[in-house]
Amino acid sequence: MVVTVLGISGSPHRHGNTETLLDSFLDGARSAGASLEKVVLKDLNYTPCRGCNACHKTGQCVVKDDAIILFGKVLAVDCIAVSSPIYTMGITAELKGLIDRGQYLWARKFILKTLYFSDEHIQRHKGLFISTAGQNWDHVFDGAFPAITAIFNGTGFEYYDNIIANNMDEYKGIKNHPTAMNEAFLKGQKVVGVIAKLKGG
Amino acid sequence: MTIKVLAFAGSPRRHGNSETLLDWVLASMAEDPDVSIEKVPLTEANINICRGCNACEQLNKCIQRDGMDIYHDKIIEADCILLSSPIYCMGIAALPKALIDRAQVFRSRKYVLKLPVVPPERKGKRLGAFIATAGQDWSYVFDAAKPSVKCFFHLIDIRDADISYLMINKVDEKGAIDRHPTAKAEAERLGKTMIAELKTRLAA
Repeated sequence: MVVTVLGISGSPHRHGNTETLLDSFLDGARSAGASLEKVVLKDLNYTPCRGCNACHKTGQCVVKDDAIILFGKVLAVDCIAVSSPIYTMGITAELKGLIDRGQYLWARKFILKTLYFSDEHIQRHKGLFISTAGQNWDHVFDGAFPAITAIFNGTGFEYYDNIIANNMDEYKGIKNHPTAMNEAFLKGQKVVGVIAKLKGG
Repeated sequence: MTIKVLAFAGSPRRHGNSETLLDWVLASMAEDPDVSIEKVPLTEANINICRGCNACEQLNKCIQRDGMDIYHDKIIEADCILLSSPIYCMGIAALPKALIDRAQVFRSRKYVLKLPVVPPERKGKRLGAFIATAGQDWSYVFDAAKPSVKCFFHLIDIRDADISYLMINKVDEKGAIDRHPTAKAEAERLGKTMIAELKTRLAA
């Protein structure tokens, strides 16, 4: 059974440090035989959550746009790699805009109780967070993790790993980072192998 | 002496809990005749997201022409800046995050071009406040929002020590804030305290 991997690029800046790191992860996944799709949020058309809470009653979002199509894809794959650079100590507005739109799934899980992920499902579905930051502070990613946890929880993925690299300002780009690109490639390979084993393939 | 207050209402839902909390702060400030208030709902502010192009590092301005052309100047002119947001998915909503990310132009000005954001005589005389509500009752529900908020105020020359936080959790449905036992009093107290502090600093 082929392992399916979806990479989501949350940077408004095409082919920058974060997207390059995501690409390395996806290359690793490809080399392990995964079937890939990469989505660039910048190219999609979606609006932020309106906070109308209509989904709390219906389980559906009143806004029909690319965000809903993308959540459909997320729910159908084995592995997601969600990526964003750190802007002002958090994920980009673009990625936050997408994550907030998952409210209808939260409503299905916790209010309507029409969506349920078994422990076994969650274990077989792996989520990774890929990020870069200009700052060299160790805590520069801390503000990002809770929102990433939220999207993984909402869509039934185990928060499997992070591939994060700070201090980009000093390295002058991800390609000069001593370990990150290789780490991303190897983690791409590894997670596909782990999922394949869990799927019994 | 006129004290200029600029308030960004960050929720996509108009007149919900976080905006109501902000309104209470503003109403208590407005009781002082020396205070002039401008409230900006971000739903109407036409602020695009940062494109991450870094052109501001050279140009000292953003290449995008949108609502930020107006609010860039107003942010510099204000003595007091308030930002309100609900917590969505453990962080601030996407709309206020877009405003915060657009402060990149101030970061470039300060740290790349080494130019002042506000004139030296106004440094230390600006106050900021983050006003937030969350549905969850977890005590840590605001933790991930604070680093971005601090970053925003830092970039616009409002010091860490000069940021106030009014964060009320366990309010979800529209109007829930009205039934909160202390929120309104806390908001009014915050408004009064900030204006009194600004008067002292601006007179000095």
